[in-house]
Amino acid sequence: MFRIIGLLTLGILSLFSGRAIGAGAEDFYKGKTITFVVGFAAGGGFDTYTRMLARHFGKHVPGNPSTVVENMTGAGSLVAANHIFNKADADGLTIGNWIGPLVLQHILGNPAAKFDGRGFGWLGVPTPDSGVCALTAASGIKSPEDWLNSKRPIKIGATGPGSTTDDVPKLLREALKLPIQVVEGYKGTARIRLAAEAGELDGGCWAWQSIKPTWAKGVESGKVHIVLQSMLESHPELKHVPLAAKYAKSEEARDLLKVADGPYGVLARPYSVPPKTPKERLEILQKAFMATTKDPELLAEARKAKLEFTPVDGPTVAKLVNELYDLKPAVTDKLKQIILPKK
Amino acid sequence: MVEMLEAFTEGLFLVFAWKTFSLMLVGIAVGFAVGILPGLGGPVTLALMLPFIFKMQPVEAFGFLLGMSSVTATTGDITSILFGIPGEAITASTIVDGHPMAKKGEAGRALGAALMSSLVGAIFGAFCLAIAIPIVRPLVLSITSPEVFMLAMLGITFLASLSGGAVIKGLGAAALGLMLATVGLDPISGIERYTFGTLYLWDGLRLVPATLGLFAIPEIIEMAVKGTSIAEAQVGRLGGVLEGVKDTFRHWKLVLRCSALGAYIGVIPGMGGSISQWLAYAHAVQSSPNKERFGKGAVEGVLGPGAANNSTLGGAMIPTIAFGVPGSVVMAILLGAFIIQGLVPGPPMLTPEREGGHLTLTFSFVWIVVVSNIITVATCFLFLSQIAKITYVRGSLVIPFILLLVYLGGFAENNAFEDLLVVLFFGVLGWIMVQLDWSRPPLVLGLVLGPLAENNLFLATDNYGLGWLKFRSVLFILGLIVIGTLFPLFQRWRENKNRAEPLPGQEPKKPAPVSPWAPVFGAALALVFAWALWQGRDWLFRTRLFPWAVGIPGLALVFVQLALDASGLLKGRGAGLAEKRDETAALVRRRTGAISGWIIGYFLTLWLLGFSVGVPLMTFLYLKLAGRERWPITLALTLFAWISFYGIFGYGLHVPFPKGLLRGWLGV
Repeated sequence: MFRIIGLLTLGILSLFSGRAIGAGAEDFYKGKTITFVVGFAAGGGFDTYTRMLARHFGKHVPGNPSTVVENMTGAGSLVAANHIFNKADADGLTIGNWIGPLVLQHILGNPAAKFDGRGFGWLGVPTPDSGVCALTAASGIKSPEDWLNSKRPIKIGATGPGSTTDDVPKLLREALKLPIQVVEGYKGTARIRLAAEAGELDGGCWAWQSIKPTWAKGVESGKVHIVLQSMLESHPELKHVPLAAKYAKSEEARDLLKVADGPYGVLARPYSVPPKTPKERLEILQKAFMATTKDPELLAEARKAKLEFTPVDGPTVAKLVNELYDLKPAVTDKLKQIILPKK
Repeated sequence: MVEMLEAFTEGLFLVFAWKTFSLMLVGIAVGFAVGILPGLGGPVTLALMLPFIFKMQPVEAFGFLLGMSSVTATTGDITSILFGIPGEAITASTIVDGHPMAKKGEAGRALGAALMSSLVGAIFGAFCLAIAIPIVRPLVLSITSPEVFMLAMLGITFLASLSGGAVIKGLGAAALGLMLATVGLDPISGIERYTFGTLYLWDGLRLVPATLGLFAIPEIIEMAVKGTSIAEAQVGRLGGVLEGVKDTFRHWKLVLRCSALGAYIGVIPGMGGSISQWLAYAHAVQSSPNKERFGKGAVEGVLGPGAANNSTLGGAMIPTIAFGVPGSVVMAILLGAFIIQGLVPGPPMLTPEREGGHLTLTFSFVWIVVVSNIITVATCFLFLSQIAKITYVRGSLVIPFILLLVYLGGFAENNAFEDLLVVLFFGVLGWIMVQLDWSRPPLVLGLVLGPLAENNLFLATDNYGLGWLKFRSVLFILGLIVIGTLFPLFQRWRENKNRAEPLPGQEPKKPAPVSPWAPVFGAALALVFAWALWQGRDWLFRTRLFPWAVGIPGLALVFVQLALDASGLLKGRGAGLAEKRDETAALVRRRTGAISGWIIGYFLTLWLLGFSVGVPLMTFLYLKLAGRERWPITLALTLFAWISFYGIFGYGLHVPFPKGLLRGWLGV
């Protein structure tokens, strides 16, 4: 009896509260805290971008919520992606930042990818990535030619399957027949950097946008060489670094490099909210995201910290993600062999 | 060199600029409270304070933030010692010996020792930072993943092999801890492990609820069963705060060694205070001539972690400042503060101002840590006698508040109600372990180090295959592990041999009796390990590697213990069931049942009615029904519980408490 009355009351209340959300989405954020969940360890590119965005984000959301950043590492940010899709409350208070090409893991049928890329609410990408391979001077590799002729496999540090650090070297190994041993399991590029400097690794392949703010000293002092760009076009600051496409000998190799250019480029560092987040809150967050990336104070900080901001908005990201689901079966079959975890 | 010294002294003056100093005092006050309150972690508070620094100068900002984070480890010890509840995640190890000291009536001494060693540790860590600034690079780059893995194993086996002489039980508990750490999505490829299909377990078992359950719940049960206050014995003048201070200097070598250990652990990225405290505890036990005292209130067990968790901060700042690689969560947030202030971590931080660097600022960090710890410790000493008196308040008045802190602390860290189930689960496990004489610290350390050990074991294997096992450094640490494990066994064997010919008039010492429940628990553990190994049969190698690497030895250890217990029983050393039927045993059973009922009842009430109704209701009921307190006291304390809960956590911190199932149904 009480249960029925309770349910009725609840029903009526929820009618009101439903309307309240519609009317007051702007008030919703007042006094609240938005949590950014970053899938990689502190001190790497994802973390640096997110912490900077988070500091200015609240200003651009009506109600000026405060923000906190949480690092949820593991499996190349797959742990964070799964968390955002399945576990985080869809109330517009949790924003995920995990590596976009993980969507391929879902498309290729990795059972550990427990999400559908088309379900997320996408806020945008602060900047497209330009993939490069950075090797230490100690590795003895200064050019792609050195690398191709290396007698030993070059040790490339990686976070987990589905992330740039993992997949791009695997694609390069397949396309260019580069001798590479991918060492997986680092919690983020900050740890890969340290391991490379400690001599445990020869280097790694990830975004120039992340290397520039975090490993500038190594590059400037000549202890780290940017040996190769995995993109189809040069980054303006890297005109002197050879493109991988130059060494591709077959059509198939060029196709693989196109993949390395796509999701690992524009879609690399997207921000997303859980599925079923109320539409008006998603829109508020999308607007706030674009406004934050153009905030003069943020841009002033970004210049100091050498971070690039050439944002891509949420609807565009959503469109690009949906397009990934239309990849030709021939391509996906090949990708399955190359980038799905095997052992 | 002259420039360095100049910057070093100028850094001190920077701290005493009035604005910096007053902001630092505010930071200290916040840190003080945060440290004492369980469940309210330093990192979260630090993150929430970050927006305030936009308008501050760099020194002011760091005075504020560092002042706050450098005292939480110090005041967190107070809660750990007095209530057996970790005030901060990084002060859990202080409970192991600090709380038994409080129970012996030596709360004052324990607090004195904790505070003084904290001060020494903090200053040591800060000066490590000062000294390390020029030589920092090789320090961080000196260890690779195989060595990190081996160091983790070294810490665990050291702690395990000296738990009250029961080496096999200690190692078994450590293996269980490591195994429990694998619950959740596997960190290499994201496969579910032991999650029973629940989303909650994806993130694994959280440390704070686990520690609360393991230590606080058995403590509450014991207090209720004995019907005493926290302190079971009176010692003149609160067991002497001064005595604790003297202890710090009596064991100055240990305090300095643990400070150094803490600073070094802090330097390693990914290892922070939650690990250094346990390793320091392990070291304190390892280096003591009579290990039996530990866990029962040995002051060295307070001094070691007290010093280490404070010196870790200084150590962790080294890679943050020098490389921009934060050693811990706290450091990641501080790194954000660097960027807000337009400071780029790296060589500029170590270059004098004249050449465009920030060396003076860097040295001012050292002074902020030192000065804020001196202020905190001095303030604590002023009120210490008052604080320690809490341990003489009768149990029935304290228990509802400890229960409140346990459930609040368990919930508020992550705002997940399921965490309270973890508290209860580990509460039961902890109680059984106490009854059967299994040591709990190795289990916690296993839980703490599990993720780190797994990550580095996989990295080592992925990088070097099995080749890393032949590394000279690895073999060296392995040697230490073997010696560390076998030495206590050898010592005991020698003692037994000496004792074999008893002196005239002396009884030969009998082996400890075996509880009839011991083999039951052993068999249950064996089943758990076996099931866990079986579950892993179809996983990818990378997912299975660590669970099997710890599960197989774990199963073997449990079997050996099971065989020992069984043979003990068969040889008639069983603590016979018959003896247990006397009156005290019956009373113990009745009281254990009653307090267990209250603990579970409290949980159910929170679940059904939510915190805002459940907390005052249960406080009231416990005081009136279990404590049989008079009306005025009952009502006053209930009001106090409700106000302090609501004021701090609900109103002040906006913790989103669940409304409770029943109120959800009724819609009120």
